[in-house]
Amino acid sequence: MSSTRKVALPAALRTSVRMRSNRDVRGNDWQVRRSMHEKEDRAGYALVAPTTILLSVFYLFPLAQTVVFSFTNWSPTDGRELQFQGLDNFIGLFNPTNGFVAALGNTALIAAIVVPGSMLLGLIFAALLDGPVRGRAFYRTMIFAPYIAPVVGSGLIFSYLLTPLGGLVNAALRPLGFPPVPFLTTEPWAIIAIIMFVIWQQVGYTMIIYAAALATIPPSYHEAAKLDGAGVVRRFFSISLPLVTPISGFLVITGLINTMQIFTQVYVLTGGGPVGSTKTVVFWIYEQGFTFFNGGAATAASVVLLLIGIVITVLQLKLLSSRDATEMV
Amino acid sequence: MRLSLALDPAPVGTTPAAPYAKIARRRRPLASRVPAALRHLVLILATVVFFGPFVWMALVSLKSAPEALAIPPTFLPTEWRWENYTRLFEIAPFGRFYLNTVVVAGLSTLGQVATSLMAGYAFARLKFRGRNIIFVILLAALMVPFEIVFTPLISMLSSFGWINTYQGLIVPNIPSILGVFLFRQFFSNFPSEIEDASRIDGANVWQRFRLIMAPMAVPMIGSFAILSFVYNWNNFFFQLIAVNRTDMFTVQLGLTFLQDQEGASNFNLLMAGSTLAVIPVIIVFLLFQNQIVKAISGGLR
Repeated sequence: MSSTRKVALPAALRTSVRMRSNRDVRGNDWQVRRSMHEKEDRAGYALVAPTTILLSVFYLFPLAQTVVFSFTNWSPTDGRELQFQGLDNFIGLFNPTNGFVAALGNTALIAAIVVPGSMLLGLIFAALLDGPVRGRAFYRTMIFAPYIAPVVGSGLIFSYLLTPLGGLVNAALRPLGFPPVPFLTTEPWAIIAIIMFVIWQQVGYTMIIYAAALATIPPSYHEAAKLDGAGVVRRFFSISLPLVTPISGFLVITGLINTMQIFTQVYVLTGGGPVGSTKTVVFWIYEQGFTFFNGGAATAASVVLLLIGIVITVLQLKLLSSRDATEMV
Repeated sequence: MRLSLALDPAPVGTTPAAPYAKIARRRRPLASRVPAALRHLVLILATVVFFGPFVWMALVSLKSAPEALAIPPTFLPTEWRWENYTRLFEIAPFGRFYLNTVVVAGLSTLGQVATSLMAGYAFARLKFRGRNIIFVILLAALMVPFEIVFTPLISMLSSFGWINTYQGLIVPNIPSILGVFLFRQFFSNFPSEIEDASRIDGANVWQRFRLIMAPMAVPMIGSFAILSFVYNWNNFFFQLIAVNRTDMFTVQLGLTFLQDQEGASNFNLLMAGSTLAVIPVIIVFLLFQNQIVKAISGGLR
């Protein structure tokens, strides 16, 4: 491609392009610049080395191992010789009896509700808190707190709120005539509880991101529309919403990647039960790797998760390269 | 503009505030204030839903075990059982858990700040061969969740003899790609004149980084350090797989340990433990929320 273009260039232009590159400039100046560059090279490598080396050892190398092990009978505990097993581990994943497909389905269900749910609520709160609202900082802090609190701590709080004995939720439902529901140990309530919990955690984040996006909209847009007689609802749908759309794309992607990784919420609230109805993919991998020491299945499932992540990432890159996104983000 | 900022949110459909807006505001009919009232109603409800559970946690942590399970629940404890907290330290070594968490979260944060600051500066300001390739590798790693690589990682840590050690809990945590991005962003947006001037004065790369650029980044270092500390304090998944000895437990692990031990019968103690786990983060958050919010929303810019 590039060579054909070079030929097409007029001769004069070609020399001027070549003149500008360092290689063709001769003389003392070149020597000085060259040595300065080498110093910058060395400093650059030294400065990025800690991150790059640690990342390679503790992240990229295990990642490569994950991919390799997924084709073998690897086990994290015994030191047996690795045997290549082809696609056996991957085919095994889709055997319905081992629960991987169900875990994948649960994760997808959680994502399908949590991502739009937390975005919608976050947008509503961001819009309510946009502009001069009395107590704005207070409300923002209150709504954001769950996002920053440790998952184990707030998970225990939720499990307490949802118990049949002493739990506030059941106490609130009693006067309405509902019998006590053991939310965390009955289907389908357990996964609903997980979904509610994750939404509760995530809304603070989506609110902050939307608030930042809404703040970048020039007030003059709203003022002009106001003069034209547009009410607050109309202005929200005709001005604010279209202008935060690129941010919504960003939130969908990060939300999907975050829900892919859900583990602690399940571990603390339900332990995957009842009858596996709340197991997520990462929970399933954890169980295979550290309860059953079934490294082949665990790594194969990780590779499947990785592939899903790659698909989402490619979508993200496409999104980021679109014109609107680069302007807004 | 300034006037309206000082006032209540302008209700829908009213004309823009004129001079003497304060008087005009008092004369506005009640009906025109409803949207603001509705807005506050929704927000107060949200406050109860989002922050209420933490208040409830603190209250239950001071109740007796039977009172915590009473139907209907009491709001304030009938007798304030402060001794729940001393009991907590008797049934589990919470002091040790705290010490472990402070050491692990503190040193991980230090490492994340130092390495990200260096790498962020290099990626933003230095031209070295292979820079873009290394950066793309980092970018790719950002997209791969940690949850995908942990099975081989743990067997690697165990072959190092790093299970149940501080280095095992800290070192793998140190590379922070988000940190590199934040600092790279910060240094890229920074005007280059100051650095150029010092370059002309003969400062080499290290001097420029140490004496000029790093001190300029102090506000950003602060924001990222707080964010990183909160993240490391809350971390659970990695610790769960890197530790199995009680004396190396962090607060988060100690809590699940407590959950297994006390089960559903002693929710007052579980809530006391949760309070101990949550309180430091909430305090850090209340003190530094502007920095935290800025760092989080700045991550996408």
